[in-house]
Amino acid sequence: MKFDTIIIGGGLSGMTCAAMLAKNGQKVALVTAGQSCLHFNSGSIELLGFQEGKVVERPFEGIAQLNEAHPYRKIKTEKLTVYAEEARTLLAEAGLKMKGNAEKNHFRLSPIGTTIPAWLTLEDLITLETTAELNGKKLLLANVEGFLDWPTAYLSDSLSAMGANVKTASFTTEALAFARKSPTEMRAINIAKYLDKAQNMADAAREINRLGKGFDLVLLPAVLGLAHDNIDLLRKAVEMPIECVATMPPSVPGIRIENKLRGFLGQHGAVVLNSDTVNNGFFEGDKLTAITTEKLEETRLEANQYVLATGSFLSGGLVSDYQTITEPALHLEVEAHESRTQWTSEYLFDEQPYMAFGVKTTDDFHPMKDGKTVTNLYAIGSVLSGNSGIKQATGTGVSMLTAIAVAHNILNQ
Amino acid sequence: MSEIQLKNISRHELEQCLKCSICTVYCPVSAVEPKYPGPKHSGPDLMRYRIKDAAFFNENLKMCLNCKRCEVACPNDVKVGDIIQEARIKYSTHTPSLRDRMLANTDFVGTMATMVAPVVNFSLGLKPAKTVLHTVMGIDKHRTFPSYSRQKFETWFKKEAEEQQKQFTRFVSYFHGCYVNYNYPQLGKDLVKIMNACNYGVHLLEKEKCCGVALIANGLSAQAKRQGTVNLKSMRRSIENRDEAIVTTSSTCTFTMRDEYKHLLELDNADVRDSLMLATRFLHTLITAGKIRLAFKKDYRKKVAYHSACHMERLGWIVYSTELMRMVPGLDLIMLESQCCGIAGTYGFKKENYERSQQIGATLFDHINEVDPDCVSTDCETCKWQIEMSTKYKVINPISLIAEALDVEETRRLNTVHEADKPRMQGDLAMP
Repeated sequence: MKFDTIIIGGGLSGMTCAAMLAKNGQKVALVTAGQSCLHFNSGSIELLGFQEGKVVERPFEGIAQLNEAHPYRKIKTEKLTVYAEEARTLLAEAGLKMKGNAEKNHFRLSPIGTTIPAWLTLEDLITLETTAELNGKKLLLANVEGFLDWPTAYLSDSLSAMGANVKTASFTTEALAFARKSPTEMRAINIAKYLDKAQNMADAAREINRLGKGFDLVLLPAVLGLAHDNIDLLRKAVEMPIECVATMPPSVPGIRIENKLRGFLGQHGAVVLNSDTVNNGFFEGDKLTAITTEKLEETRLEANQYVLATGSFLSGGLVSDYQTITEPALHLEVEAHESRTQWTSEYLFDEQPYMAFGVKTTDDFHPMKDGKTVTNLYAIGSVLSGNSGIKQATGTGVSMLTAIAVAHNILNQ
Repeated sequence: MSEIQLKNISRHELEQCLKCSICTVYCPVSAVEPKYPGPKHSGPDLMRYRIKDAAFFNENLKMCLNCKRCEVACPNDVKVGDIIQEARIKYSTHTPSLRDRMLANTDFVGTMATMVAPVVNFSLGLKPAKTVLHTVMGIDKHRTFPSYSRQKFETWFKKEAEEQQKQFTRFVSYFHGCYVNYNYPQLGKDLVKIMNACNYGVHLLEKEKCCGVALIANGLSAQAKRQGTVNLKSMRRSIENRDEAIVTTSSTCTFTMRDEYKHLLELDNADVRDSLMLATRFLHTLITAGKIRLAFKKDYRKKVAYHSACHMERLGWIVYSTELMRMVPGLDLIMLESQCCGIAGTYGFKKENYERSQQIGATLFDHINEVDPDCVSTDCETCKWQIEMSTKYKVINPISLIAEALDVEETRRLNTVHEADKPRMQGDLAMP
């Protein structure tokens, strides 16, 4: 089977790269082993949130200070802002309404109410310009009765610490009470499926109106808008301002990003091989000539260019045993401390060295195999070395911008 | 890998479950039925308890459709669906009812019904018959039974096609399945037409039994195992006879015989598994290898919406069917969002499942109506029944679409080139 480009990995990075190529007319195949980490995403994309433990206000200024090995530093400074704008355009074209700007970070709220700097956030979620913004406001946390993945006690404490006057209440409707019959499946995603129906949403709006009287702002768990963007409907039906706060995963806003990007790929004719794993790469000279997968067995998948976007340890893009760290799909060279004692820091919340381990690449994101650069293969996103995605709050930004940088490289050939 | 990690292997990858809950996002049942405990809980979570005490088995697990969408979604390759189905086989104390036995024995019922097909088709469509089925048997009255053919595919083949196959020098065996044999022989005839045009002869298996998917689903796995043993023996015979593959036209039969035989029935199919494949995969592979060529009618035009059947998704083979259809100029292929249609074989026929079954498929039917295609295409026959019953659109197997678009004369000419002409043709053989 022949394609212009084959992308290995179906997370944010792989989908971004595939979308950029497909919308520019390339025949693209995307191989993905199970669903992606977007299911744990709270509905925000970040560029750079923290540096040396401090909040970054202007991400591009911070990026200029990053060390040379960081993936952002491999993209030309003047291109970074262009690619950031292209990323935002792509998300909009895929049907995702987002707020925020690349010049200056805003804060998003985590499910336990911590403020984390972000670049873009889905429009239905609460964002803050400063933590003082909620000072003196009367807030209602309106939870769905029986929904356990929204820790309101933590949230209430965090918001109170910002000076807000917080009350917690819960509501139910006929549909939500029906969903609650399941003690194990009363999750954000199943609630969202019920609320996708207009009648159920109208019932919920009535209850929120009843509870929310006299409050400046009502905060809801992010259990809306899986199939439709129905926050607008709810905002019309509810008298007071409402915003959503991310829940514990599986996260509806993250899944919405996944679904919209998948839909965009489908519309642009990309071929997605679900639930499949690359098990072999055929190399000739400095090129990758074909790959095979577990499900397609002897069928060789061929392309002019290949992109590795398999993610880090959680997604199986990197694998460790007791001695070594390897990249299992194509056995590319990995940058990691040789001594296992240096993989981790003792205190959990310290910067963990293993998080920055990854595939070694040139400045054009070409990885190496057996000491040689592979010239028609690129690595993007979390599989790259040099980025500590959680500690720096850079994960999603690195995924999207390296994907776009590589897409341009491929299209310019 | 260190030795200790190599030893970290658990049945159906039970121990690989991280409890991430991604499977629950894609379970079509738990989205509409709170009595079903969901894939993670029914599967890996409760398995730990069941290993210690069978009393933890919950009969609500029969609500699982066995669609395997949990396995497709799992980032860690845990066989969530297998764990659930195995628990049903091992721990269920439920005795299959007469209704379940009838629905499951597609072979037996099919043979009886084709003998008196006009009577059966007529009476199954009648209100009184439907009422009796609904109230006495528990088969939902809203269901339209697939009509039975007057002539079995096997009978047609022996009478009309078998003799002509002798002119060929290379062959495939065809596992036609119950649906082609009893309900819709045309699909089998379409396959024979394509293969013959490509200069391939078709053999039937020495002895074909129902693949057993409905037996497994209805708690009759011992019978499924016996039938599987017969099928595997016949397939081995085909391989010995140098048939190039055992091809199929049903994604569910294929999936059952390739994967469920091994994982659920503990049948050793390793020696036939690689030879057993959907006809679309066999054709696509031959075309890309330059071994056959297809020519299509110049004036063929059709807007086709493709539905990704659950077991097709699990096989990972959608790409063969869709890429094959994309080779037809004039066939405009639109991919429907991949989701379960709700029928899951015999599941949707049962009175207690009917409503749930329709709720599960609702968004798919909406999507089809929005696309408004000339027809829907899918590799699964039970999806066909469900979609045809729930929308106004006709559902056609990719093989039948290829057969319809095929320029038979030209294809035959392209594939019967004399040996002496072959080198000249080489450059011409690669497909676009």
